[in-house]
Amino acid sequence: MVDVNKLREKAKEVVSRDDVRMLIGYRPGTYGFRARPAFVQGPDEVDELIFTPACVNNLASYIVLEEKLPVPRGEEPDLRKVAVMVKGCDSRALVQQMEEKAYDRERILVLGIPCTGVVDMAKVEARFPNVLERGEIALEGDKFVLSTGGGKEEVAKEELLADKCLRCRYPTPLVYDELLDAEVARFADDDYSDIVELEKRAGAEKWAYWEEKFSRCIRCYSCRNVCPMCYCEDCVLERLNPQWMRRSVDVSENTAYHISRAYHLAGRCIQCGECQRVCPVDIPLMELNRKFYKDVEELYDYEPGTNAENPPLLSTFKVDDREDFIL
Amino acid sequence: MAENSDFEPNIVAFLCNWCSYAGADLAGTSRIQYPSNVRVIRVMCSGRVNPLFVMNALQEGADGVLISGCHPGDCHYMHGNYYARRRFNLMRNFLEYLGVEPQRVRMSWVSASEGAKWKEVIEEVVNGVKEVGPMDQFKRRQLNW
Repeated sequence: MVDVNKLREKAKEVVSRDDVRMLIGYRPGTYGFRARPAFVQGPDEVDELIFTPACVNNLASYIVLEEKLPVPRGEEPDLRKVAVMVKGCDSRALVQQMEEKAYDRERILVLGIPCTGVVDMAKVEARFPNVLERGEIALEGDKFVLSTGGGKEEVAKEELLADKCLRCRYPTPLVYDELLDAEVARFADDDYSDIVELEKRAGAEKWAYWEEKFSRCIRCYSCRNVCPMCYCEDCVLERLNPQWMRRSVDVSENTAYHISRAYHLAGRCIQCGECQRVCPVDIPLMELNRKFYKDVEELYDYEPGTNAENPPLLSTFKVDDREDFIL
Repeated sequence: MAENSDFEPNIVAFLCNWCSYAGADLAGTSRIQYPSNVRVIRVMCSGRVNPLFVMNALQEGADGVLISGCHPGDCHYMHGNYYARRRFNLMRNFLEYLGVEPQRVRMSWVSASEGAKWKEVIEEVVNGVKEVGPMDQFKRRQLNW
């Protein structure tokens, strides 16, 4: 884990630079073990920055989500860099955004954090419900130490680790200007066992499973809003002419929504798991994304967010792509 | 799903203007008999077909969808069909994963001279959809207030 003093020192150095507009990092939340994003504008604000296993948010989203207001006449646009702290998975979002030419590499300054895994807040809250005072989570050896004013408790790492971290292939950021700690070797791998299990079911059984999940959806669009890859200015969900997806909340429209959301991430999803984390009705969205992730890897030998020089998957082709499904 | 011999499926076919549409036309002018379940929508290229079209057709009451374009290498726009091939391979696999039978979304290459192949393709698609019955997964339902 990163030494917090070193992190703040580095953050201070970065935000003091003339060519940096702000730094996006983490700070403690208002209650419980949570952490929340921090937007640091000046060197006097760095003292609250932290990095702990509670820092689950993918900060890469904020780079593309920031509203680009029109510049008043006579004023120059602010072209200074945005500095951002990224874990391994978040850095892949940056790589994929740059692969899609969302912005230039010069516009961002990346502080890479080699990550040994973050917690799943749902698992933490199931184990420690209703913690209202501020608590801290730290990793010591292979145990998470959760401490509040009232005391300390140790929990085995696997029990609280987020699912995405149990399958993480890239714990060390793939793109960075400065690395804040020593590189972390790959400690897990993805075998898609959950997807294979779902694929094996019979057709009617699969639909029964998904129909129940989709019927729960309330169309809050949290999954779209939090996604670092969903940054179209004109989203197909909001387009009224032609209106491809109606706004009514029923199984048909919800299915259409989830198919298109997942399809728009085919060959783009970098497995940060943010969509599933924010879902208020616990739809297993990563099971949809991971199906595409698996297919893309198996059919086209392509892994999103690993090389910014790669062309985007669906805007290229190979003459000898698989076509055994074609009549 | 129980096989129903009376069931006549609705198939929406997206045909590319340069090959498959001409191929279907040739089947017509050559008086080749093929099932009349298919409703043809002409698009300029199979690469024009957005996966949303397929999803929307299935929502709006189609029991099956066929996308047909030029053979690889013959595309009027050089490589539109190659893009379509990637797109619909993923789309088909995904719909199958959700529990929509793979027979409902088909893709074929039919050239302008293949009237006979067009007949075979349509028979294959219609028989496939007849086997799995009406689309009942995520069809839009009429609301009764």
